[in-house]
Amino acid sequence: MAFTVTSETKDGIAILTLEGELDAAAANDFRAAVEEAADGDPRRMVLIIQALTFMASAGLRVLVFTKQKMGSGVDLYVVGAHDAVLETITMTGFHHSVIMLDEYDAAEIESM
Amino acid sequence: MASLTVSGALTSLDEIRAFVNEQATKAGLDERRTYRLSLAVDEIATNIINYGYVSAGMDGDVRIVATEDNGDLVIVLEDSSPPFDPFSHARPEDLDAPLEERDIGGLGIFLASQNVDEFRYEHVGGSNRNIFVMHKQPSDGSLASQP
Repeated sequence: MAFTVTSETKDGIAILTLEGELDAAAANDFRAAVEEAADGDPRRMVLIIQALTFMASAGLRVLVFTKQKMGSGVDLYVVGAHDAVLETITMTGFHHSVIMLDEYDAAEIESM
Repeated sequence: MASLTVSGALTSLDEIRAFVNEQATKAGLDERRTYRLSLAVDEIATNIINYGYVSAGMDGDVRIVATEDNGDLVIVLEDSSPPFDPFSHARPEDLDAPLEERDIGGLGIFLASQNVDEFRYEHVGGSNRNIFVMHKQPSDGSLASQP
């Protein structure tokens, strides 16, 4: 299934919604969306991935890029990972540097 | 036996995964093991395309063959780009380091080898052959066999 990413920034929180299959062919689109969201200097970035059905290491690389782009003062949330995608994130250790959530709760994220 | 030949471009990855998913379903692999196999093949196909063909400035095809052999589903990726042995590349050692300090190289190879029951490489007659084996009935303690 084709990859899409949509984004919105509200109250300084950038929310990117990823859908479909994030392979090496799609990674550039994701990266471009991150760059654009980062231009707005958000204080937090949230990736909603409930509808992401596949993620290869190319997607993980964009997570690294996102974290580096935002700097250590900005938290990166990853919400709603499917079990198989979560397995990839944890087996490569990437869960140490992002905050994994099952569901997006705006009030909870804003108050963190 | 089923096979598919695609061009060595990233746009072929979709087709490669669809082929693997179809063959895995036919062989009776469950959803999780199908995903793992598809991921493994995708990672190596990506390396073949990026590092084999594209950075060598070459055009070429990738052939993917699926066979069932003695209770196993065997997927072989064949390409004619310059010899590339994935096992000669180091495993990522810093898996517990913070994201910002990670060395990204070799991640794809690590994911490929961890997600199937067996992963091997051969260079035969001018072709790279990357071989992925999934036991149809998992019986060992490996990750690939866990639900």
